[in-house]
Amino acid sequence: MNIVVFVKQVPDVPNIRIDEQRMTIIREGVESIINPLDCVALQASLELREREGGCITVISMGPPQSEEALREALAAGADQAILLTDSAFAGADTLATSHVLAMAVSKLQPFPDLLLCGMQTIDSDTGHVGPQIAEELDLPQVCGVNEIHMDGHLLVLKRLSEGFLDTIRVPLPALLTVSKDLCPVKNLSLGAVEAAFSQKDIIRWAAHDLGLQPDEVGLKGSATHVRKLRPPADRTGGRIVTGSPQFIVDALIHKLESMSILDEEDGNE
Amino acid sequence: MIKYRESKISAHHNYLVNDMLTPGFVVGKPNDTEGFYFLADIVLAGESMPRISCRLLAEGPGNLLLELNWNRIQANPEGCIHQSIPGGFQILRTTGDVLLEVQTQAFANGYLTRIKAGLYDENGVLQMEPLGDSISAHDAEKIVLDSPFSSSA
Amino acid sequence: MNKTFGGVWIFGDYRDYFQNRITLQLIAKGRELAETLNTGTTVVLLGDQIHQYAMEYVAHGADTVIVADHQNLKEYEVEKYTTLLAQWVKSYQPEIFLAGATSFGREFFPRLAKRLRTGLSADCVDLEVDPESFLLVQTTPAFGGELLAEVVTPDRRPQMATVHPGVFRELPHNAESVGHIIYPEVDVFPEPRVKIVRSKPQRTGKVSLEDASVVIAGGKGLGSKEQFELLYELAELLEGEVGATRPAVLSGWAGEDRLLGQTGKSVNAKLVISIGTSGALQYITGIQGAETVIAINRNPDAPVFRIVDLGLVADAATVLPILLETLRRRL
Repeated sequence: MNIVVFVKQVPDVPNIRIDEQRMTIIREGVESIINPLDCVALQASLELREREGGCITVISMGPPQSEEALREALAAGADQAILLTDSAFAGADTLATSHVLAMAVSKLQPFPDLLLCGMQTIDSDTGHVGPQIAEELDLPQVCGVNEIHMDGHLLVLKRLSEGFLDTIRVPLPALLTVSKDLCPVKNLSLGAVEAAFSQKDIIRWAAHDLGLQPDEVGLKGSATHVRKLRPPADRTGGRIVTGSPQFIVDALIHKLESMSILDEEDGNE
Repeated sequence: MIKYRESKISAHHNYLVNDMLTPGFVVGKPNDTEGFYFLADIVLAGESMPRISCRLLAEGPGNLLLELNWNRIQANPEGCIHQSIPGGFQILRTTGDVLLEVQTQAFANGYLTRIKAGLYDENGVLQMEPLGDSISAHDAEKIVLDSPFSSSA
Repeated sequence: MNKTFGGVWIFGDYRDYFQNRITLQLIAKGRELAETLNTGTTVVLLGDQIHQYAMEYVAHGADTVIVADHQNLKEYEVEKYTTLLAQWVKSYQPEIFLAGATSFGREFFPRLAKRLRTGLSADCVDLEVDPESFLLVQTTPAFGGELLAEVVTPDRRPQMATVHPGVFRELPHNAESVGHIIYPEVDVFPEPRVKIVRSKPQRTGKVSLEDASVVIAGGKGLGSKEQFELLYELAELLEGEVGATRPAVLSGWAGEDRLLGQTGKSVNAKLVISIGTSGALQYITGIQGAETVIAINRNPDAPVFRIVDLGLVADAATVLPILLETLRRRL
């Protein structure tokens, strides 16, 4: 079974800081990592290859430094890695991103049996790219998968959806996005990472390699634009109270009374 | 543009006719003193019963079989039987055949009434007949009532 | 056709109704947007025997419902829904199309947006029409919720967004409403490739933060699991439910079913009392649906105080026992 795993290099979000003046994030000093759920997809592909055989291709779209993520994936055991990098790709929304990724997949010979990615990324958290690749390639999709089995040529999947546990059958080729419950991610050893630097080459494809015109990709190929970034809106008219603990409690009780959550007490207290 | 059929929908009670919801509909002319008609009138918020009035005629000769006014028998020359069923009522002919069945389904938020019947006008033309779990009304005078017929008449 | 037809569309997501209120919340917001655009609000509804949902959406403010009621539409199936809705969109050309960011909404809307070659924003926490450009401004959390991004879809239509459940407030049920109902002619459905063999309800516990009218929310500032447990007594006294921030859940003080925020639940409560919570944006998303927010935090600069109606600067560990004692005496 030939598997494609899409990975995205993302900033380690819990550690980013915000430049409150310029309303941007400060990337300096923040480590870049493989999106955690993409690691789950990669781990799942390794286990599937062990059972079913085949070859794992890892694909990432991003700036040249996304190569690090692909090196890590190779170190973890992927067979081949493709970096889709071109200055024209910058500023892409999910529509434009999925177009580039889908075009890369359709260039693969033979066409893969299974496409995997994480169900969300920690930086933009849209979860759109997987289903949109599936749509462009006319593949069936299942999102948020937490169990994968093979039954002949059919995939048998489980996923949780709004309080329902669905059991799903889908033929190959198909695209799945995976949830964190699919499998635990084993740590990549650093030695393996170093080995990967010397071993395999990373294939690089730019827009023209994929037959893409500049207006189909990046900001130009995007349907959405980010107009601005801003901090969360504040409520107005909030009253801030300080004082002794008893005073604080009285202020709270008074508020509860005014909202009729507590009945008002007779006034002699 | 994709072809479509259009109706209105009440938040409270609807009839299912021609596979569509409608707050009320009329077949024939209820205000005439004779001849076939069927009026499924608008049910007001707070009420849970449909409002069926009709003048039903026998196939062929066109004799009067039955008149209903707000679900109650007004005239019954043939001696049809009015019988309660869960959520509604049936009118049976003396032969035991079901002439009309009216059944209302209660949802948590409202009501839906289904009608089953094969009804002929004075010219012997089939005007209403079963269609899946709804009824088809061939030449409805007004398939969507905007206000209760009884008060607008 | 009347003006209500191509305006603001909402996907009728009725699975797990009546718990799932997202469609009603979107209708209420949709009406606001439609008013600015001088158009109507339409719910599109697919399924088998779905009359009562069509009626419910009209009762809660939809001008029009477009319905495909067919036994082959019983299951939520991405491919069928995409095919059908893409045809409808091309035919009737809505300006705006919204869906709840439920599991299904998040699986199916990206595919539909792609087929229509239009833009989609994810898990929005606010929507408004820009009064000058008449574009839909879609506010969505970015970078783990530290910032909000205002996204627009300048040229392509419809402008599509999924919306975080609980951030908008539904209109009351009005049994006297009457709406339009449209039944488009529906083609034969292709056999779906994705077959849902079984769908088993997995309700965990009985924590219903979405429906509670009072929510007591606790964060890491409570200091310990023992302190956190006091919230249950407070919740009982005020007939409420207990929610928790992500750090409190990660510390094992509460189960994930109590998690509030972008990745957890959103409240619709009359009152939230937020105790020992600093106010990370991803958490604020979960409580901003409350009518009133009261916060207790010892740090006067805590971001949570920016969104409160009443902010109490105090150490929760000191105040809680006094508060509980006072309430016990009174109730």
